[in-house]
Amino acid sequence: MAKLQTFVTGNGDERRTLIVVFLRGGADGLNLVAPLDDDGYYKARPRIGIGRKDAVPLNGFFGLNPLMKDLEPAWKEGLMSVIHQAGSEDTTRSHFEAQDLMEHGGVVAGGWLGRFLRFRNGAPAGALSAVALGRELPECLRGAPSATVIQSLDEFSLGGNSAKLQRQLAGLYGLETGPLSGAARDTLAALERIETLRATPYLPSNGAEYARDEFSQGLRQIARLIKSKVGLESASLDLGGWDSHLNQGAIMDPRILNLAQGLAAFTKDMGGDMATTSVVVMTEFGRRVVENSAFGTDHGRASVMFVLGGGVKGGTVHSKWSGLKEELLEGPGDLPVVHNYRNVLAPVLQRHGAGADLSKIFPDFTVEPMAIYG
Amino acid sequence: MSLTRRHFLQAGGASALLASVGCDRFPDALKSLLPPDRVSLDGPFRPPTSAEIDAVSHALNRLTFGARPGDYERVRALDADADKAAALFLDQQLAPEKIDDAFAAHSVRRLETLVEPLGELFEYKEKVLLDELIRATLLRAINSERQLYEVMVQFWSDHFNIDPSKGDAKWLKVADDRDVIRTHALGKFPDLLNASAFSPAMLWYLDGRVNRRSKDSEKPNENYGRELLELHTLGVHGGYSQKDVMEAARCLTGWTVRATERSRFDIGKVEFEPRQHDKGRKTLLGHEFPAWPEGLSADEQQQRGRDEVVRLLQLAADHPATAQHIATKLCRRFIADEPPKSAVDSVAAAFLKTGGDIRSTLRSLFATAEFRETRGGKFKRPFHFIVSALRATGAETDAGQPVVDFLLRMGHAPFHYPTPDGYPEEASPWLGTLLWRWNFAVALAEGRVGGTKIKADKLRNAFGGDAGLIAHLLGRKPSEAETSAYHDSGSGLALMLAAPSYQRC
Repeated sequence: MAKLQTFVTGNGDERRTLIVVFLRGGADGLNLVAPLDDDGYYKARPRIGIGRKDAVPLNGFFGLNPLMKDLEPAWKEGLMSVIHQAGSEDTTRSHFEAQDLMEHGGVVAGGWLGRFLRFRNGAPAGALSAVALGRELPECLRGAPSATVIQSLDEFSLGGNSAKLQRQLAGLYGLETGPLSGAARDTLAALERIETLRATPYLPSNGAEYARDEFSQGLRQIARLIKSKVGLESASLDLGGWDSHLNQGAIMDPRILNLAQGLAAFTKDMGGDMATTSVVVMTEFGRRVVENSAFGTDHGRASVMFVLGGGVKGGTVHSKWSGLKEELLEGPGDLPVVHNYRNVLAPVLQRHGAGADLSKIFPDFTVEPMAIYG
Repeated sequence: MSLTRRHFLQAGGASALLASVGCDRFPDALKSLLPPDRVSLDGPFRPPTSAEIDAVSHALNRLTFGARPGDYERVRALDADADKAAALFLDQQLAPEKIDDAFAAHSVRRLETLVEPLGELFEYKEKVLLDELIRATLLRAINSERQLYEVMVQFWSDHFNIDPSKGDAKWLKVADDRDVIRTHALGKFPDLLNASAFSPAMLWYLDGRVNRRSKDSEKPNENYGRELLELHTLGVHGGYSQKDVMEAARCLTGWTVRATERSRFDIGKVEFEPRQHDKGRKTLLGHEFPAWPEGLSADEQQQRGRDEVVRLLQLAADHPATAQHIATKLCRRFIADEPPKSAVDSVAAAFLKTGGDIRSTLRSLFATAEFRETRGGKFKRPFHFIVSALRATGAETDAGQPVVDFLLRMGHAPFHYPTPDGYPEEASPWLGTLLWRWNFAVALAEGRVGGTKIKADKLRNAFGGDAGLIAHLLGRKPSEAETSAYHDSGSGLALMLAAPSYQRC
């Protein structure tokens, strides 16, 4: 007999939620996490570099952009891991090519998150297992057993007559003797939770306050869905506009602020639930090390990734820094990729799907999971 | 809205013309200028009247993506005896080339990528190609009169699954769908297999294009060779060895596709590069492939390269395990998730006897007692559910993104399955989709599916009221529980489409 699935994650359910934040446009890793003790950095970025004193100190050598100060508590609590010199093997420096490769997880069919959800071990994915905030399904979710693009929770409603209709559906499915009857019971319970959710104003926990921007509001919706236990296993959302060819500050600063404030509010709101939640922040590539004449930076190679969540080896910046000396840079002067993004994703996926077959998720790459968990 | 012939006739100019020539003698030349009629909602239609699914409803359930208004009556009228009527319907469906399909063709006429030659496909954005291919697949499933053909197109699309998101398959899958799947869906299996093996999209998807051995140290890429035996032909327990997989891969070395990354012209062209072919002796499934002699001319090398693959494919296609494997999958699709061995054996025998003639194989399947007797027990996959609901309600739809979004939510959008085994046919992986089925039922009944309209009152009236409508949807008279649920739900049509019986066929 077919294994029944549960949509509804009640007490004792161990379903974990993975949130993927994609910074589209190629976010400058050196302007998010700067190598404060590398003279090469200041030589390359005399006008746009982050001052030693302004940065939020991380481990001494590296510091966060001052606009990310809201993330300092998460860092100090050991909830955040920073992976520097992260990126893909793609050398085209083309937004499209690099995003495509990164979201598919190689030259391979389907998205890495879609394949994970379809082929991870355990109970089959529920109807609300994967949600993307926004207007389009991100490529990383391609091939998922269920993938819902939503802009608001209202889209889950069964319409005006839902109470009467649900009662009659409960009756008819109750007469079933096969697996459909259990599936219907789970579905009705999930609907009930969603109705409750819609009817109740959301009050974030621990005094967390989400900013008004779309990114923060997206994270707020995700927090709500996680707490209502409808079986959310993954959520994806984009934060775009990082293509800072000129006037880097004007382009990046508001986004850096959105990113840090959103993640900080979410972490605070989730509180103890962060133990079963992970947030991965990634981008298709970093930028040229040397600033250009227009106070901007051009397409480069490695950038930075963040992993927030329970269990990470907090307070660590993973990198193999050899300095920003010209002869150590790649191509036209780019930070070489030391940590392939798959090796960062791998341990996170192992945490979210014990025993997940990584060779099925990243079939064209021999994965060496990084030790990001303590 | 689209202009139907009826509307045209109602227009003043046309009626004056008709007054003179009469409807029957409506000039053919003029007729061809009008868009073909979609299915009519003008009843009265006679709904099914028996308490159990009869042979006609059963045939409509299994051979089509669901009965439209009037379909039951049309098939039932083929013969006074329901079994004979169903058999005549099967005959019609097995000869799709004789069925006029003007409306389906009309509904996809603006999707221009479908008819573009291979090389021209690269002129389009990948998203346009995928969107048009998905829409065409939906529109044909919804509108085509050649329903069994469309059902088999889906069957083979799963069997020879290609997720076009990999590499140049983004452009090439459109040609694979047209030139491989649709061309051979009711043809001969060996021809289908052959077309698939040389399909540039398949060469991309299963890495055949990088399967080469130009020197002894180079290891052939086994991806396609393995799936050829495991999925496309013999089946995982079909009795081949790991050595057979390696030998198949060696036979296939040197076949490649011109890629966008390397070439600007003839992209997508399939080529054989003799220098990258393993010319040594091979032994496969007990048959020997001799080593290549020295001194072959360029033409002889091309011929020999092709011959070696053709022979490999023929050996695989003719293998008894292949007949068993294909028969099992067909019986799983048309009879039951756990198909009875007796039925599988007789279907496999027909496959073997006819050299993989797909029509003969299907004919033998539909003639089995197991097919006739297992009615209403298959769980519709999400695509089948959505299309059957659109057909049953006579919906006018552009099959656009709002419909596709429902399929994505249920994990069953066409051309989105990542691995080569294709979407599963059994019920269990799909049991988690009820929420979105119910959601779709309500949205459709309330006219909230974008680009899709139904005329609920007209539909009900065409069946003479609620009881007739329910019988149309279920293919039989409803139970008492179903009737009272329909009336007490506040939204009878939505309830019926969401009901357990409607999830089955």
